[in-house]
Amino acid sequence: MQDRDTEFDDLDALFSAARARPAQPSEALMGRVLSDAVALQPVSPAFVAAAAPAPVGLWRGVIEFFGGFGALAGMGSAAAAGLLIGFVQPTGLSDLSAALIGGQIDSLSLMPSLEDMIPEVTP
Amino acid sequence: MDMPRDTTTEALDDAPDEALLVLYANGDRLAATALTRRLVPRVLGYAARLLSDRAEAEDVTQEAMLRLWKIAPDWRAGEAQVSTWLYRVVTNLVTDRQRARTRRAATPLEDAPEVADEGRGAVAGMIEADRMAALDAALGQLPDRQRQAVVLRHLEGMSNPEIAAIMDIGTEAVESLTARGKRSLAAILSGQKAALGYEDEE
Repeated sequence: MQDRDTEFDDLDALFSAARARPAQPSEALMGRVLSDAVALQPVSPAFVAAAAPAPVGLWRGVIEFFGGFGALAGMGSAAAAGLLIGFVQPTGLSDLSAALIGGQIDSLSLMPSLEDMIPEVTP
Repeated sequence: MDMPRDTTTEALDDAPDEALLVLYANGDRLAATALTRRLVPRVLGYAARLLSDRAEAEDVTQEAMLRLWKIAPDWRAGEAQVSTWLYRVVTNLVTDRQRARTRRAATPLEDAPEVADEGRGAVAGMIEADRMAALDAALGQLPDRQRQAVVLRHLEGMSNPEIAAIMDIGTEAVESLTARGKRSLAAILSGQKAALGYEDEE
């Protein structure tokens, strides 16, 4: 029969053997815990800003410059409509421009000539 | 190929739990990984010893960690240690489950921990596995509170004041529970000396 101290020594040896064998969680459990962590993690503005400058493609940059894909699509259809009107010259539109402008226009100066800009000097 | 470890990851591995939790709350993904790697084995080990059921222990571990992730943004620095807080949560979750299954008979021997073969002789490994199984079985026979106190003190290496905080009792009660638990364990195990293989190894 062992005395109490020896029994406790045995127990302590058993405890230290058990401490030396930490639990080994399965990959599945680690994955479950980690996906919870990611799902519940607050998103910091600092980290969003740091993460943002990922390589941006040229087209993506152009699209974003004009205010997104929807705006660019609108601009595209407007440009196509303009081109079509220019080619087809619908009669209704010709009448309207004639009424507004009054007759055929042969040339149109979009830039005023330099002479108009110089103040006239009267001697 | 042996990849050199990321210095950031290494720095995180050395950081205190609380610092990692603050980093996590600030959106740092690496902190989430570091905390998971560090805390899950401890929480799982503790829960498995209390519950003697691996699947249930895994559920408790996930739930306890979930509560940690949720509290992270509101964590008040210096108020409690992360590990103490977590052990407390696990203890409460386990207590709830034990209350729910009080009518079920305990079957502690079924869930002996897996044996990790580390190059020792098969017989020695088996004997150690038997010892661990016997320890778990004996722990399973202790009353719940004694088992919690003994596991926290002797297997998780907690101090008496920490155990008092985890179990929500006074330090004197902790001392009494661990002393009684240890005596009961010794008594249970002394009946199994031959099975444990003490004589063979010494």
